[in-house]
Amino acid sequence: MAERPEDLNLPNAVITRIIKEALPDGVSISKEARSAISRAASVFVLYATSCANNFAMKGKRKTLNASDVLSAMEEMEFQRFVTPLKEALEAYRREQKGKKEASEQKKKDKDKKTDSEEQDKGRDEDNDEDEERLEEEEQNEEEEVDN
Amino acid sequence: MVAGNGASREEEGTGGDAAAPQPQAPMRLPLVRVKALVKADPGVTLAGQEASFILARAVELFVETIAKDAYCCAQQGKWKTLQRRDLDNAIEAVDEFAFLEGTLD
Repeated sequence: MAERPEDLNLPNAVITRIIKEALPDGVSISKEARSAISRAASVFVLYATSCANNFAMKGKRKTLNASDVLSAMEEMEFQRFVTPLKEALEAYRREQKGKKEASEQKKKDKDKKTDSEEQDKGRDEDNDEDEERLEEEEQNEEEEVDN
Repeated sequence: MVAGNGASREEEGTGGDAAAPQPQAPMRLPLVRVKALVKADPGVTLAGQEASFILARAVELFVETIAKDAYCCAQQGKWKTLQRRDLDNAIEAVDEFAFLEGTLD
């Protein structure tokens, strides 16, 4: 059974929550209005995707990237979204980078553990190195906050 | 554009302060559903992870925006419950929502 794209709705509970947080306390929303907003959100995604895709094609790329979406927002006259979206993107990139570094760090620690189990001598040196690394990471975090 | 709602606005930055990036509320929309919609477009080959993420965030902003604009319309009638007609009024009144005309029925 083929579904129309408009039928691919986003989760009602989430949409409702976003709406409630956007509205002042004590204001509620009718079911009809809520489900209309939900449909509107789906239409928004489809429209934005289509716009973003145009930008990707102009750039001769087959994969949509973040800047395609940002360009689409401007095209759709949602310039006011661009700044918060850029901030969200930066935070997302930092998070991804942090995750990557954390998993690489874990890997290194794991390797180190096996090494130090084999050689008792190296253990003290390893602790010092870890402390240095932690300090470096803290400095990095501070730099990011200043930015 | 933004009216200050003291009550529930601790986490979100709303674009008014340009100086320091405000921490934004955590993403609520599941990326999987957003990606499903993106894939529904026959012209799209692939969407990168970042693209899906920003799109999901954009939808959240959109839902907030349209809810608030509909509420502003409702204010004039002093309703306490947002109705479908308030939404329709907002869509007619706000240029950015023109793309929605005829799609919600």
